[in-house]
Amino acid sequence: MLSLVLVFSPSEKAFSSAGGTKKIVFWHITTDENGKKMIQGQVDRFVKAHPDFKVEVVPLQNDSFKTKLKIAMGSNQAPDVFVTWGGGPFFEYVRAGKVKDITAYMNENNYKNRFVEAAFGPITYNNKIWAVPVEGAGVALVWYNKEIFKKYNLKVPTTYDEFLNIVKTLKSKGITPITLANKTKWPGCFWYWNFVNKLGGPSAFERAAERMGGSFADQPFIKAGEMLQELVKIGAFPKGFNGLDWDTGQSRMLLYSGKAAMELMGTWQIPIVKAENKKFYENNLDFFPFPSIKGGKGDPTSLVGMASSNYYAVTTTCKYPKEAFNMIQYLIDDQAVKERIAYGQIPPVKGLKFSDPMLQKVYNIVAKAKSIQLWWDQYLPPQLAETHKDIVQSLFGLKLTPKAAAEKMEKAAKDYFKK
Amino acid sequence: MQRDRTSKFAQNIGIFLFLAPALILIGIYIIWPIIMSFNLSMFEWDGVSPQKIYIGLKNWKDLLHDSIFWHALGNNIKFIFLSIIIEMPIAILIAVLLDRGGKKFDVFKSLFYLPMLMSSVAIGVLFKYIYDPSFGLLSGILSFLHLDFLNQDWLGDPNVAFYSVVAVICWQYIPFYMIFFIAALSNIPHELYEAAKIDGATQGQYFWKIELPLLSPSIKTACILSLIGSLKYFDLIYVMTEGGPSNATELMATYMYKNAFASFKMGYGSTIASAMFIIITTAGVLAYFATKKNEG
Repeated sequence: MLSLVLVFSPSEKAFSSAGGTKKIVFWHITTDENGKKMIQGQVDRFVKAHPDFKVEVVPLQNDSFKTKLKIAMGSNQAPDVFVTWGGGPFFEYVRAGKVKDITAYMNENNYKNRFVEAAFGPITYNNKIWAVPVEGAGVALVWYNKEIFKKYNLKVPTTYDEFLNIVKTLKSKGITPITLANKTKWPGCFWYWNFVNKLGGPSAFERAAERMGGSFADQPFIKAGEMLQELVKIGAFPKGFNGLDWDTGQSRMLLYSGKAAMELMGTWQIPIVKAENKKFYENNLDFFPFPSIKGGKGDPTSLVGMASSNYYAVTTTCKYPKEAFNMIQYLIDDQAVKERIAYGQIPPVKGLKFSDPMLQKVYNIVAKAKSIQLWWDQYLPPQLAETHKDIVQSLFGLKLTPKAAAEKMEKAAKDYFKK
Repeated sequence: MQRDRTSKFAQNIGIFLFLAPALILIGIYIIWPIIMSFNLSMFEWDGVSPQKIYIGLKNWKDLLHDSIFWHALGNNIKFIFLSIIIEMPIAILIAVLLDRGGKKFDVFKSLFYLPMLMSSVAIGVLFKYIYDPSFGLLSGILSFLHLDFLNQDWLGDPNVAFYSVVAVICWQYIPFYMIFFIAALSNIPHELYEAAKIDGATQGQYFWKIELPLLSPSIKTACILSLIGSLKYFDLIYVMTEGGPSNATELMATYMYKNAFASFKMGYGSTIASAMFIIITTAGVLAYFATKKNEG
């Protein structure tokens, strides 16, 4: 146990910028080389403008970050600035009084207006703003290998029936239709959430999650489980997907090697693929939005995800909140926006133009979307989110029937909310 | 007489003074946290907010009806059994062979000990790649040997994942018991071998009549170590499967960790930790007396 904590402690502490005596500790989760360098550069610009400050930048792996933050918050050793996705787990920290209310800072000189409106949903609580939207839009899209589609004469699908035909064709050609690494459970959930979103519309989930006349045992939730299991049964996913790890790239390896053709993943796929396999990014990668389902209530433009994938918040234990906020601004000033676009992100800032057609395409889709359904595991309270992820993983493993899964989730929600 | 007593008293003070630093550290870092865990198990607490809600024994009642916890305990017991019947014989065998080889096998002692020196997290990541069903070393070897039908969904299939992980854990821990038994073997007096040699004993008789009986106290100790280690095991399971898929590889410790740190149920996590403390202590004491009785 202790060894685990030690291993997860950052080995790159030495990365701290030289500078003065006032210190800001800053945790983020951008661990690929390009991204780490970019953020460090933006922090360095802040330090240059504030020579009396020193910033300790700590990049952490996604899943270990969650634990580390939890322990640090609980033991009063929180960093001054940390990354967050907003939603349920973040509001736990807000309610516990660990996060600084930055509404006043955001309103100063109308700074808030710089960002797209949709970006504020997941970080607004009690009508106050608790974090700054910084990193690009993160919505789930279906990424695919252009070459494979060309080779087998496949057309980008707009309906689920067309999509299912593609899956079957690819399967018959000996290619794994969809790659998936579901050890950490959320990648598989992307399928379930998109199914529910297209089947029942965004309100289906919200009514169930807010306990406002909806139930997790309603038809769209059962149907989503059925459609998911149909994919599993026809062999749409790679062998062993429930044991593969997304963080270490086990799903993308299948994509790069041409063994698998598609992956449902967030737009952070762009910078990651760009960094990991530039050739693949330039020649093979493209995407389409999740296809609409016949008879489903969801709008064809509706998406799952968020307008900004990462936010940065200041803790209440921070000694220099004003400066910490100012440091965050350096992460998303005009210079930073340019750097982020070059890196492959779509910053949550108004009125952008892109030279990379892929980014422009994502930007248009996000701007056009009638609704963006926040990731359920960020929307739900953490305890329920964990139960939900376990249930979906069992659905994928064919260990639960769609009906039993839906009922189990409804029961968990009832127990949690006591209604 | 009088003088004797004071010196005894002084001696006791001396003993106490020398023990005090260790006792204080044990108190702060071991005993106090245990008491705190038991205390926390009476609360509903998310682990971050300043207020904790006292709920008495509710967490304990929930635990009794928590099927995942019992399933995890079952896995722990399966794990004890597997690690003892796999690790001990192999470790004894290697130890005996290396011991008979004498000095010229010293290099193997170091080589075989290597897995024990690697960090568990590194081993976990390494084996995640080895077990990869598409690119992994294991599936590569199997297909090279035309044994593709043996290839499994090593970490993704709930029926297989547990054994896949246990195999790795055994691989990691066999060297530890190997060194343990080598040390024990080196304590066997040479006269015994010489006497046996004069009596014309075979290699097999060496093993069954001399080495194994004289190793038995060490084997018992090793089994108790393995028992306790298996009950509180955490690292590799967490790195390789996080207790999944569908709780197939869940152990008490991974379940505790998930509750406390992923689900924000610190109180319930503490309840599991406390239950583990009770179970492990009981099992350890029972095993200790069971082996002791046999000796008598």
